[in-house]
Amino acid sequence: MIADGLVFLGTSHFGHRLDAATALAGLDAVGSAVAVVAPVHPHRGDLAAANAAVLAAAEQSAGRLVPLCRVDPWEGTDAVAELGRAVRAGARGLFLHPAEEHFRINDSRVRPLLEAAAELAVPVVVAAGYHLLAEPLQLGAAAGWTPDNPFVLTNGGQFNISGLAQFDAELALGHPNVHVHTTGMYREDFLERVVATFGPERLVFATAAPLFTMAYERSRVELAHFSDAERALVLGGNTARIFNLEDHA
Amino acid sequence: MPDAGLTAGDEDEEGETTVIIDMHMHIEEVASLGWKMSADDCIRAMDAAGVDRAAVMTLTDLPGLNPQGLELIADACASHPGRLLGFLRLNPAHLETSKQLLGQAVTELGFAGLKLHPVSTLQHPGGAATIALIRLAGELGVPTLFHCGDEPLSTPLSIAEAAAACPDSTIILGHMGGYFHVDEAIDVAEQHPNLILETSAMPYPDKIRTAVERIGAARVVFGSDGPVSSPSLERQKVVMAGLDEPDTDLVLGGNAAVLLGLS
Repeated sequence: MIADGLVFLGTSHFGHRLDAATALAGLDAVGSAVAVVAPVHPHRGDLAAANAAVLAAAEQSAGRLVPLCRVDPWEGTDAVAELGRAVRAGARGLFLHPAEEHFRINDSRVRPLLEAAAELAVPVVVAAGYHLLAEPLQLGAAAGWTPDNPFVLTNGGQFNISGLAQFDAELALGHPNVHVHTTGMYREDFLERVVATFGPERLVFATAAPLFTMAYERSRVELAHFSDAERALVLGGNTARIFNLEDHA
Repeated sequence: MPDAGLTAGDEDEEGETTVIIDMHMHIEEVASLGWKMSADDCIRAMDAAGVDRAAVMTLTDLPGLNPQGLELIADACASHPGRLLGFLRLNPAHLETSKQLLGQAVTELGFAGLKLHPVSTLQHPGGAATIALIRLAGELGVPTLFHCGDEPLSTPLSIAEAAAACPDSTIILGHMGGYFHVDEAIDVAEQHPNLILETSAMPYPDKIRTAVERIGAARVVFGSDGPVSSPSLERQKVVMAGLDEPDTDLVLGGNAAVLLGLS
């Protein structure tokens, strides 16, 4: 079972868009059975409405779209309440985007949200690698607040075309609950080292479409030097385990 | 997933052989980073990707951590004649030494280019020393390959300062802007005809097509940043850009052959 660990749905304030039908067609084209889906940051920032739209799309997808709830930590207790409401409505995890909602992931204001997610037993996915707001060690510090709850970082936990952020990303992976997406990670040896050093359970295939290209991101995993068992975990087994996708395991 | 279906020396419909050239690979062992990249690693990755030739360079700058950097690249190229072409990675802060080394490398050892990484040298691309070195490269008839990404000192707009100051030198933007500066790399390439975009590591196949549409296929070159970044994957990125066959051939090797003096 191939599972895309993250796809964005909706029309973003920042210019990109993907609807559910197009997402499902894209998954079909590259052979992905399911995708974890998160709302984009919509124009005027109504995340509750965006969550409702993603939940509705997931409801109509025959289980192929696994919805996340996106909230803004600056909303305080309202954000915690929205997370609870969305999870009761079917959301399978919490998505946080420090750059687009403009908060520092290890700011103490974020901690109640992460603790609420752990209490609700839903994993946390974080848009990673943003200078000042979501640097690898900041992400590791936040992951440490809820050490028993999966904490999944996009794009290898970093954005750096010199390869120099991977050392901090590996330190973040020192937290056993940290997992990293393959998306956009240009260093094949980093992906292979995550598997060799931290175990194949810690690396998760994702495309972050429409920001990245589904077919190209799939090739990134296919061409890396993994055993068949490791690749099976990376391509879908880990997402099935993290999000408890019994129907697809 | 199907593989790329590509092999070295593919023939096109007219039976002409397409030479695939990777403009950006590395050789060096850097203990402090735990990075080990050998000439044999490059050759293995090239063979797996169907790449005929590659420009190779160190991971550190001369003068600097590895005093044998020039010899390392020269020996690698000599050990794999016709496969590897040397680029000399220099620190413009040591200008007179760098100029002497570049002249020696190009005129005596056949090096094909200059590599500059402002993040490691801490030299602004528009600084006087960097400009002097780029101009010398131009006078010697070889291009300058910049690391061009998202970090300060390496952004497209920073390197555009050098392009404007060195109109007679060819400057290649390695990684064509990284993750967040790709549109700016295309913008500055539109403004400066001496800029070439190199495709390695940046993760957007469609941006290659955009670049070709805006600045022409003759000014975009394939690179991998291998061997630790997969030349096979990086070659697929160019194929996925969906260019027509002549333009794909130019990007994958035709343009590099001209820049490296091979055609």
